Amino acid sequence: MTELLRIQHLSKSFGRKPVLKDFDVAVESGRVYGLLGRNGEGKTTLARVLMGVIPADVGDILYKGRRISFRDSAYKREFGYVPEDPFFYEDMTIRGLLDFNARFYPRWNRKRAASDLERFALDPRSRIRTLSRGMKLKLGLAVALAAAPEFLILDDPTSGLDVPTRQDFLRDIIRELAASGTTILFATHMVHELERIVEWLLVLHGGRLIVDGDFEKVKAQHQASLEDIFVSLVADKA
Amino acid sequence: MFTALYFKEWKEKALLFFFELGILALLILAQFVLREKKDIQEWLIYGMLLLFFPFAALILGAAGFEAEYRQGAWAYLFSRPVRKAAIWLAKFAALLSMLAALWLVFVALWVAVPGIRELVGGTRVMLGFSVESEFPWWSILQSGFLMTVAFSLSLLHERQFNILFVSLGVGFFLPTAAWAVMNTKAGGFMAFLAPSKALPTFLLCQVLIALAFAASSLATLVRSDFSQPRKLTLSFVRWFTPLLVLALACTAAWAILIPGPAERYLSFLGSSGGEPYYITPRGVFKYSVAANRIQWLAKAKHVNYFIASASGGKIAYTAFNIKSRADVAEELWVVNSDGKDRKRVLGRGPRESEWPLERPINDLMISPDGTKVLVLAQSGANRPEVRAVASEKSPLWIVKLDGTGLENLPDDPALFGNPSERYCFHLVAWAQDGNAVLISKRTFRQPMTFSLWLYDLGNRTARIVLDNAVMASWLSPASPRGDCLAIKYQKDPEKPWTLALLDLKTLATTDINDNTGEPVRLWSQISWDQKGDRLAYVIRRAQEGGPEVYVLAVYSLAAQKTVAEKSMTTSEASALLFWPSWTADGALLLVLDRAANGLRVLGPDLSEEKRIAFPESLRVPVSLHIVGANALVEDDQTDTLWRLDLSREAWKRIY
Repeated sequence: MTELLRIQHLSKSFGRKPVLKDFDVAVESGRVYGLLGRNGEGKTTLARVLMGVIPADVGDILYKGRRISFRDSAYKREFGYVPEDPFFYEDMTIRGLLDFNARFYPRWNRKRAASDLERFALDPRSRIRTLSRGMKLKLGLAVALAAAPEFLILDDPTSGLDVPTRQDFLRDIIRELAASGTTILFATHMVHELERIVEWLLVLHGGRLIVDGDFEKVKAQHQASLEDIFVSLVADKA
Repeated sequence: MFTALYFKEWKEKALLFFFELGILALLILAQFVLREKKDIQEWLIYGMLLLFFPFAALILGAAGFEAEYRQGAWAYLFSRPVRKAAIWLAKFAALLSMLAALWLVFVALWVAVPGIRELVGGTRVMLGFSVESEFPWWSILQSGFLMTVAFSLSLLHERQFNILFVSLGVGFFLPTAAWAVMNTKAGGFMAFLAPSKALPTFLLCQVLIALAFAASSLATLVRSDFSQPRKLTLSFVRWFTPLLVLALACTAAWAILIPGPAERYLSFLGSSGGEPYYITPRGVFKYSVAANRIQWLAKAKHVNYFIASASGGKIAYTAFNIKSRADVAEELWVVNSDGKDRKRVLGRGPRESEWPLERPINDLMISPDGTKVLVLAQSGANRPEVRAVASEKSPLWIVKLDGTGLENLPDDPALFGNPSERYCFHLVAWAQDGNAVLISKRTFRQPMTFSLWLYDLGNRTARIVLDNAVMASWLSPASPRGDCLAIKYQKDPEKPWTLALLDLKTLATTDINDNTGEPVRLWSQISWDQKGDRLAYVIRRAQEGGPEVYVLAVYSLAAQKTVAEKSMTTSEASALLFWPSWTADGALLLVLDRAANGLRVLGPDLSEEKRIAFPESLRVPVSLHIVGANALVEDDQTDTLWRLDLSREAWKRIY
């Protein structure tokens, strides 16, 4: 496996509150990474920094060996991002949003977008403001997938999904993507779901990575479920 | 990507745009419905230019980042593969095009309704600005400025209403404050010296401040963290503060250093030794024949270009020394014609009480021997003198060029003394070997009268030389030898003015007749050849059963008759602009002919040899002076000076 992304000495504070402290990680292509952490531990912050939504205070991010900065945008053509709170332009229709996005992504897959809308039962004529949070999450997922990303960041997307969609998402979509070689960073605090798909485990605590390892090995080492491992790790460090 | 963002903005703000368009349509409709009520129409136009467009711009600008704030779409937008600068630019371009679309509607109204121009003109008067253009560019700029400010600030705050009012306050306060500073002592007394520059300064200030806002906003968007509002605002302030200072400094530098419409001027002063002298806001220069280029003689600010003199290798001029608005002193300076030995003859100093500062200098002449300067100080050349108190000092002063021997020449009641009379004077020429001076006097009673007087510097008395007489032209009426003056006079007040020569030694007059033996009715400037042997001018001659014809004529002093004539035109407008001038060797006569858009080159017998067209950039040619192998022409519109190389027929702008 080749290294896709490397984060070095990344720090980010909000006011006087540090959220990420000297964060280091290397992401290899084709893997499903699970990023676990309690609320407010910096999972969303890390996702936003990677997507260039907010700048890091210090630190470097290298994508395919090339340093990327807050001002860069080209690398995002290969990134997909499904945020925790999927805010779009409310006055747009679903079709309008897809057309708008299609202009930005060279590998935009219209067929995929159409089939995902069907899969998620989204009417392209609907205005975004009429959608529920769960439907917006599905739409966010459809947008991210249609861009055919090499690296997909999922920031706790399943919390707002209904059970069948969550099942579908976890069982089929993630596996499908993983099989196609897409690297996935799945940030969540819902460990049960993560356990079913994760290959590499990252645990954030106190702004730092306290676990960065092969999930099977971690599991074998602790001889426990992921939930128990997570609780014990976070409790130990606390 | 840019276009995707641009059209997204248009779609997003379409409702707002059409709402504003609807209001504009209603205002325009009211214009037509109320066309009989001019006063209401006028207020509607005022409302449009002063309220509608600025507020429409403010509302559009304040909505710049409204969707991102209201719908929380920051993260979504920034996570797209598009440069943040492109996001900013697309938004700004979309809003600007909406504002431009609103303005286009007004432009259509402007084109379609002729009466609208007069109504718009009223706003210019109301604002107290002196604007050349009829079209309200100032209002376009104003609305563009306010939109930029509001758009820039919309990045920092989610409440549009607050942004709108802050933008309004900031938008008016900053340029107004800057403009006020420009009008103080620190601003170089700009308003005092050049009130017509006030509006351009205000507009420049607005443009630069708008750029400061825009650049700060752009830099903040590209570099800052939107999840932290306080940091965002601080980042904006950090960018904006130095840029604002820079904008104000540039405005001040422009206002002080670059001449404004009223500050830029070029004025022909006179010729001495075949070299013409000019005055500009930067001082005095001459065109040097030897060097074949402009030679700066005196770099001086606030030269009073109306009055100066070139004689005997010396140049005298007056300039204002301004310490404050209330403390303005006029100074008399002298400099050698090679630019050396510049010296202040009179002005501030220990002898200030002696100086006739209470009256501005209106005229001066250096004596033929180049040792003294005669000064005429009265209440302005264009304002008639009212001598209410007979005991006041006379307007004539004389001083040596080293600054000593300042003397107020005694009043001669015959010339200066009637307190009930309104009149003005002009120094015409030295006479009688420098022992007397010829003075032109114009009274303001109707009908106006003109007379030529001789003031004897020996016995300090004045006597009339000719009644109903005036010099033939304001520029160089005296021959280069200084022995003869071209004048216009009326033998009988009922008869037309005729051209004559006045001998400056004997004061005898010689009438100039044309080829038909009739007295000459002078029409144009006169031009002496460089030896003072011949005089060229344009006369007006009646034709039987047809329009008057304008004839170029040459008078020879040796032959004492008109030696050549050439009919030039029957158009009074064309003839009005003729300006003849001899070449240095006297072999050719050039005539500036604006109607023909060029110089006409004529032989000694006035046969036309060729025409040399003006360059396109020379818009309003005036005053033709031949210097060596070159012709110099001023552009009255742009106050530039152009040189024509007569041998190569090549034009070049030299000032």
